Amino acid sequence: MSASILRNSPHSEPKSVLAGALAVFVHLFFVALLVFGLNWKDHPPEGMIVDIWTELPKPIQEPVKSQPLPKQSVPEPVKPKLEPQPPKLEPPKPVPQKTIVEPPVKKPDIAVKQKPEPVKEPLPDLQEQKKKEQEKVKEQERVKELEKQKELEKKKEFEKKQELEKQKELETQKELEKQKALQRQKEKEQAAQRQREQEAKAQREAEVKRAAQQAAARNQITNEISKYKALILAKIRSRIVMPPDLPGNPVVEFSVTLLPGGDILDVRLSRSSGYAAFDSAVERAIFLSKPLPLPPDPALFNEFRNLNITVHYRE
Amino acid sequence: MNTTVTQDMSFLHLISSASLLVQLVMLILVMISLLSWWYIFRKLFVIRYEIKKTDEFEDIFWRGADMNALYQRTINSRYESGSLERIFAAGFSEFNKHPAGSDLEAVMESTRRAMRATYQREMDYLESHLSFLATVGSVSPYIGLLGTVWGIMNSFRSLASITQATIAHVAPGIAEALIATAMGLFAAIPAVVAYNRYASRTDQLATRFESFMEELSNVLQRRAAG
Repeated sequence: MSASILRNSPHSEPKSVLAGALAVFVHLFFVALLVFGLNWKDHPPEGMIVDIWTELPKPIQEPVKSQPLPKQSVPEPVKPKLEPQPPKLEPPKPVPQKTIVEPPVKKPDIAVKQKPEPVKEPLPDLQEQKKKEQEKVKEQERVKELEKQKELEKKKEFEKKQELEKQKELETQKELEKQKALQRQKEKEQAAQRQREQEAKAQREAEVKRAAQQAAARNQITNEISKYKALILAKIRSRIVMPPDLPGNPVVEFSVTLLPGGDILDVRLSRSSGYAAFDSAVERAIFLSKPLPLPPDPALFNEFRNLNITVHYRE
Repeated sequence: MNTTVTQDMSFLHLISSASLLVQLVMLILVMISLLSWWYIFRKLFVIRYEIKKTDEFEDIFWRGADMNALYQRTINSRYESGSLERIFAAGFSEFNKHPAGSDLEAVMESTRRAMRATYQREMDYLESHLSFLATVGSVSPYIGLLGTVWGIMNSFRSLASITQATIAHVAPGIAEALIATAMGLFAAIPAVVAYNRYASRTDQLATRFESFMEELSNVLQRRAAG
């Protein structure tokens, strides 16, 4: 009875839940180690590449931006110099015109009014006392005529003076006009100069743009050239049967003459590595990789006609 | 160069960018590793508890305690009893079932059989899941290796379309594939260590149980004869 109870009684396993928790903890710990232990790898290389490519295009664009700025600042001080000059000359013009024009208009009016008045008065006197008074009148007329003549003379003198003044004024006006014309000419010349400067600026900018475009084109060409040089080197490297266990990192240099199409005309050892086995292995590899990869543009072939190939024992 | 150098090489990114089979292998390995660590801790506690209980019981028994009292105590606290107590209880109850004056040889034989049966059951309990640890220790490196080989195969296959191959093209694929091997080893190493350690401990316990059985049968025989 009692033995059967023992036989069927389950084993009370201690702390099985704690065991599970510990197992999970061990794994979390290990994962954390891996995650934080491997993270150091991804930070440093990113900065290198981004910096190189953002810096290259800038020096071409920056001069274009910086040059127009000083040019624009130069014409600006020129304009204020020209503008203050006309206001200095303009105020004298209106002042003499007003003073000259007004007096001659008033004086002739007075002269015209004085003349008819003496003509109307003698007319009724002449009908009643013809002969007696006629003499007196004649005398008076003579006197008047004399007076008139004197007045006329005075007027003529005035008129002459006025005419002289007018002439003088006209002369001054002409002079002013001449000065104005000169100023206008100057302004025109300055405007022309400004236009010339702007044109020169535009030409310079266009030249800078052209230079940038040419530089970009040159960059493309150099990229193409360097790409194909790398391809050539890679092809040669892939054909080298490296002699084993050379000490250090010996370098061998070959000057290779190419034919259009990638065929090899001549291979000369220009600098030996010091290990004949390595030198000959590289030379064999150059001949083995015979149609060398060349850019499809035949204009670039001149860059490849005489190639210098340097091979390092270890990459 | 640019594309490969700037690639994210962090651990989580490597796992998420691996191919489906490699990810499956990794998942299996994580499950195996969790399970094996659970068993490692469970067996650690069980074997520790068993050794403690055995020490206690041997101490009480050889001090000359009353067998009937010991038997009653074992029956009453059967959920906290150790293996040695159960073996003792099985043998003692079988010995007492026989009426006085029956054949001593037959009584001792049946007592020894009862003890042997309980001993087998207890050893089975102590050694349970140890075989699982042994399996994990031997198989999980192979599972990890399978994932690695598959990942490297894929990374080389994708290399075929590139004319100018560098180590940078292959490196990320190999790195992500090697994670599978790392996981396999992480599961295997503790499993092997634990298996060896627990196997030796259970062997020690087994010899202690067997010697106790022999000694108890001697004591009971003397008691029946005397």
